[in-house]
Amino acid sequence: MAKTYDYLFKLLLIGDSGVGKTCVLFRFSEDAFNSTFISTIGIDFKIRTIELEGKKIKLQIWDTAGQERFRTITTAYYRGAMGIMLVYDITNDKSFENIKNWIRNIEEHASSDVEKMILGNKCDMNDRRQVSKDKGEQLAISFGVKFMETSAKASINVEEAFLTLARDIKAKMDRKLDATGQNNKNQGQQLKKSDGKKRSGWKCQIL
Amino acid sequence: MTENRDSEIRERLLWNVKKEVKCIMEEAVTRKFVHEESSSVTSLCGAVEACLLFGLKKRVLGLFKNTTSTALLQKVAKNFEPAADIAKIVTAQEIKMDESKKSVDNNKNHSKRPTLAYSSKYLWIRVALCQKVLDVILDHLVENANKYYEPHSLVADPCDGQVLASLLVGPCALDFTKMKTGDHYWTDPPADELVQRHRIHSSGNHHIRGPDSPKRPGLQVRRHTSSSSEEGMRMTPQSAKDYVESLHQNNRSTLLYGKNNVLVQPKEGIQALAGYLSLHQGNEGLTVKWTPNQLMNGCSKTEHTEEQDRRFCLSPNEMAPRSHRYLKKKGVLYWDYAVTVYMDEIVYLHCHQQPDTGGTIVLVGQDGVQRPPIHFPKGGHLLAFLSCLETGLLPHGQLDPPLWAQRGKGKVFPKLRRKVPAGRMKQDSLNTQAGSVESVNSMNGSIEEEEATDYVFRIITRFTPDLMPPEMLYPKAKSGLNFPDISIPWPFKTGFGKPSLNEIPMATVQSHTPVSPDSTTTIAKAVSNKVRPVYKVPKQLVSHRTSIRQLCDEMKRQIISRAFYGWLAHCRHLKTVRTHLSGLVQQTITSSTIPQDASEGLTEDLWQQFNKDGVVTDADEIYRLVYHGGCSHGIRSQVWPYLLGHYEFGSTQEARDSLDHELHTEYEVTMSEWMAVEAIVRQRDKEIMAANLAKLSSESTSDSSGKALPSPFMRKDSSLSNDVFMDSVDVDDHIVHHPCDTLIEETSSVTTTPSEQAPSERSIRTLPLEKTDSFDNQIITTNLTTKTLIKAVESPDEGLGDSKPCSKRDSCSLSSKHDTIESQHSLEVDQGMPLPEQEEFYTENDKEVQDMLMVKNIIITNPSVDSSDTEQLIGTETSANFLEHMEDALSVGDAGSHISASHDSIISPHTPGSPASHASNGGVYSAEFLEDVGLNLHRIDKDVQRCDRNYFYFTPENLDKLRNIMCTYVWKHLDIGYVQGMCDLVAPLLVLLDDESKTYSCFCEFMKRMSHNFPHGGAMDTHFANMRSLIQILDSELFEHMHQNGDYTHFYFCYRWFLLDFKRELIYDDVFSVWETIWSAKHVASANFVLFVALALVEYYRDIILDNNMDFTDIIKFFNEMAEKHNAKQVLKISRDLVYKLQKLIDNK
Repeated sequence: MAKTYDYLFKLLLIGDSGVGKTCVLFRFSEDAFNSTFISTIGIDFKIRTIELEGKKIKLQIWDTAGQERFRTITTAYYRGAMGIMLVYDITNDKSFENIKNWIRNIEEHASSDVEKMILGNKCDMNDRRQVSKDKGEQLAISFGVKFMETSAKASINVEEAFLTLARDIKAKMDRKLDATGQNNKNQGQQLKKSDGKKRSGWKCQIL
Repeated sequence: MTENRDSEIRERLLWNVKKEVKCIMEEAVTRKFVHEESSSVTSLCGAVEACLLFGLKKRVLGLFKNTTSTALLQKVAKNFEPAADIAKIVTAQEIKMDESKKSVDNNKNHSKRPTLAYSSKYLWIRVALCQKVLDVILDHLVENANKYYEPHSLVADPCDGQVLASLLVGPCALDFTKMKTGDHYWTDPPADELVQRHRIHSSGNHHIRGPDSPKRPGLQVRRHTSSSSEEGMRMTPQSAKDYVESLHQNNRSTLLYGKNNVLVQPKEGIQALAGYLSLHQGNEGLTVKWTPNQLMNGCSKTEHTEEQDRRFCLSPNEMAPRSHRYLKKKGVLYWDYAVTVYMDEIVYLHCHQQPDTGGTIVLVGQDGVQRPPIHFPKGGHLLAFLSCLETGLLPHGQLDPPLWAQRGKGKVFPKLRRKVPAGRMKQDSLNTQAGSVESVNSMNGSIEEEEATDYVFRIITRFTPDLMPPEMLYPKAKSGLNFPDISIPWPFKTGFGKPSLNEIPMATVQSHTPVSPDSTTTIAKAVSNKVRPVYKVPKQLVSHRTSIRQLCDEMKRQIISRAFYGWLAHCRHLKTVRTHLSGLVQQTITSSTIPQDASEGLTEDLWQQFNKDGVVTDADEIYRLVYHGGCSHGIRSQVWPYLLGHYEFGSTQEARDSLDHELHTEYEVTMSEWMAVEAIVRQRDKEIMAANLAKLSSESTSDSSGKALPSPFMRKDSSLSNDVFMDSVDVDDHIVHHPCDTLIEETSSVTTTPSEQAPSERSIRTLPLEKTDSFDNQIITTNLTTKTLIKAVESPDEGLGDSKPCSKRDSCSLSSKHDTIESQHSLEVDQGMPLPEQEEFYTENDKEVQDMLMVKNIIITNPSVDSSDTEQLIGTETSANFLEHMEDALSVGDAGSHISASHDSIISPHTPGSPASHASNGGVYSAEFLEDVGLNLHRIDKDVQRCDRNYFYFTPENLDKLRNIMCTYVWKHLDIGYVQGMCDLVAPLLVLLDDESKTYSCFCEFMKRMSHNFPHGGAMDTHFANMRSLIQILDSELFEHMHQNGDYTHFYFCYRWFLLDFKRELIYDDVFSVWETIWSAKHVASANFVLFVALALVEYYRDIILDNNMDFTDIIKFFNEMAEKHNAKQVLKISRDLVYKLQKLIDNK
């Protein structure tokens, strides 16, 4: 079976434990919310195919364990990531403070041109808010990345956030492709149908 | 007559709807959600549409040309509200679609988005289905059928109409999701579906199987299809899907040629069947496969096949022995007809061309037996096949005579116009001599002789004594031990009747001078004169005798060398196994049947027998029983403490009771310790929270934050410091500044109060468990009270042996002394003494800045104690000066004592071992320590709150128990702290034991092994390395696959398995049985049983992994989705088998 997507984007969700990474992902991939999630151990990913500017883009979104103890394992996944969502919890100041550390972590382990975005999750719980939206925005500006407040529970901005990130990655990729010239197009990140692990060297010589 | 036809049509229409409903409901169950644009929705809509259109009163309704039922909806909408709603939505959507279509056209984008076309089909039915009103509308239609439908229609039928409406109730109850594009599904099938597919495709005896699969190479002898044509034809399919997939291009073989509707008569007395002919080049050489169309089409139930089935049943002996679960009825027979021919067994290829029917090929084996004739359709297919075959044979073989290359036309038959009946007869007679000629071909041959152009090609393998194929000399590592199966065919080949024996050496001799098609037309012409007699030239006959002998000798040598290399490979293999893996299992193999059958496990009766007088002694037997058969659930709570090492085997009831009691009190003491700290942390958190809130509001309201946010080094108002905890409100980075002075004053006052006496007393009770440093510390802290001042002075002398604790203690005791004396002249001592000590401390820790801060950041345990304003003031001032004067060693006055006091608290967080010392430390904690505890508590809370909430046991009350256990453990192991996943390990223990202190103790035992798996331990990497070696040895094919598909032999996908002992992979009941098996395996079979469970999980799905060509991401997704869906019983069985297998392998010296 041929792959039906034009691009495959690998995204990564990071942030302190309990900020709602898995819920954000579940909202995006299944459009549902489940409050009984258990902590993520190791690594998991979900897939959703979206369409941008007429191109089918398969988003492979990796969900990581939040606790920094697992960084040795999770950082192994930074390398292949094309986009990273940094998630904090607006009701938890600490998780916001740690965004800096996560960014530093990305700088150490991810590729330098990875697209980043900061999400302040749980924005439906305004009454318990500890981090103002302004603060989030300022932090994002200081790192030169985009920012959104989301709520997986109330389904606010989750879809938009991922689409924005995907759009940014695609734009960056298109720029790169333009820069390298048309003839090199296939060497970019664009996946051809026969690309990847499923080799198909069709050798039949008859019709 | 028409009535009958109508009812037939109705039946068929209804049957279609039933089928589709069934499909969609199944999809809903297996996937949990169905996409709106899923193909099953479309086909259901199609089936419903067909029903609705049948017998519709088009004329009456004025719908002449309409071929869809949309107009019907419009009609119904006039009198029926739900239909009207649907009609509205439909119109709206149609408009939207038109617009987007236009916009697409405007953009000159001609590739119309497929989703649009997709959803516009049966639009209203689809919309009604998604809006869950389709059944209602149909009900309405059925009730008012006479208005819209002819009497013979399905809807108007009194019975069928109702059935149709009620069939749709189910699908209308489903929720459809719009989330994904339709293609999402078939590009990434969910794990469930993969497993299900596998189950469906594989036949009964091959569903999901363990590592002992016949497919696997390695230590087993590969079953080679024997060369008799009988066997070749009756090939038993490994699994239908495997087989069908093997016909296509895949990574194991290359498809050289494929043609459908090739006729083959697989058996005598059966008509020729149409099928798919394919030519493959794989590891085993060239293979010709022919598969009946019925198999290719997935055994569809057409009348045609049923008819044929009936005909096939005439040969009942074929029916009997097959036991395929899925293809029981029809497919089975066809499997017998499928043909697989290995080209290296074929010597001759007879070609018969008939101008009217295309061509026929008959393959003749080296045993002289003819394979079923293959009839190609017209149009050069035979030639195409031959040229592919010729290419495929290269470089080791060729067709003789070779095909001719003709410019512009490609390969053509050699120009052989004259037929030589004599030669043909000769060949036929040769075949008859061989004794196994099928009559079919010779008959065909004689009939066609007049008109057809017939050829006989010989297939020459370039197999010469000098040029041995490399695989003969170097047995592949993979199949290092399969020498017997290769050695068999050769002597077998030589042992045939004389005519065929004559021909083999000829072939080999001939192949010394390979004939290239272009250059040697002369030879081809010679062949053309007499179809094959080139080889029959008498002068060559003499050399044949010698060459036969030569060949026989050569074969002997090859057999011997092959056997030798095989043996050598085996030895090497075993050496690797022994060196790397022998440590993983115990040498002695414990039987599952001796002294008694252990498959039932440890039952309650057996447990009663062991536990007669309250003393359980026969540990080995219990381990053996649990390992082989698990433990009855009812007695688990009794047995587990033994298995985990909480109770000792052979202990008496009283001993156990007293142990429990002891541990219980200890547990409570520890709990009270961390709870005290928790109270502080809570309070602190509240303040921080309040501070943040205040900050938030102040940020938004005014710029008065200047005062609200002092820098860490800024002095605060003395009025503010009235309340100890208000101080921290102002602190930016959650570090609490506290005057050292207050601290001392308060501790001394606190320790005198009876309520605060408690912690130190408690910690003294737990003394035997503590390390000596903490012992010292406790003495010091008790000494802080004025009453025991003398003792404090004495205590330094007790342990002057080791330098560090000693010096610390020195300073502490000094400080306490100064504190209590509070005299001017003691200052001199102070100035002298603490300073060097201080320096020593800094150099030791090598992080001066941090320590400087810590000196400042000290907090008091007891929030209830109020200190006087004056004291506070002094403290504030002194500590304000403190930092500034740090360089000058000391400030004047009381400051000296403050410094030394702060040393005490600096030291405490660095004292290795028990945090209990902090509690007893007069209640003094550094901010860093509190930070640490707070973080751990926060994490524990986060994880406890979301731990298995779906499991009935975890009510809020029981979650509290879980939390208590977790906190107690972390409190005792603060150096490691809480790591995510620990909760998961406590949970099953708590569920089973339902006793906090016992669970805690068992958990501690459990963690002795498990804690190494956490990131701070190194066990995980060892696990991965061992997995690698194990899988390499026990399933090399799978290893090879993993290695080649992006190399995921790092086994990261097993991370969670090892970290949590499969807790997340299995449901609770299964976790219990897997855990107890792991624990007892340590004493029975292997201390690393987890490895074998992990291996069994991989092996259980090996075929799915291989068939779907899974890479790392696929496998992660697969196992994450398969979590809690494994068959634990089967997996455990496989794991024990694997242990046994490895034991045997090592044992086999």
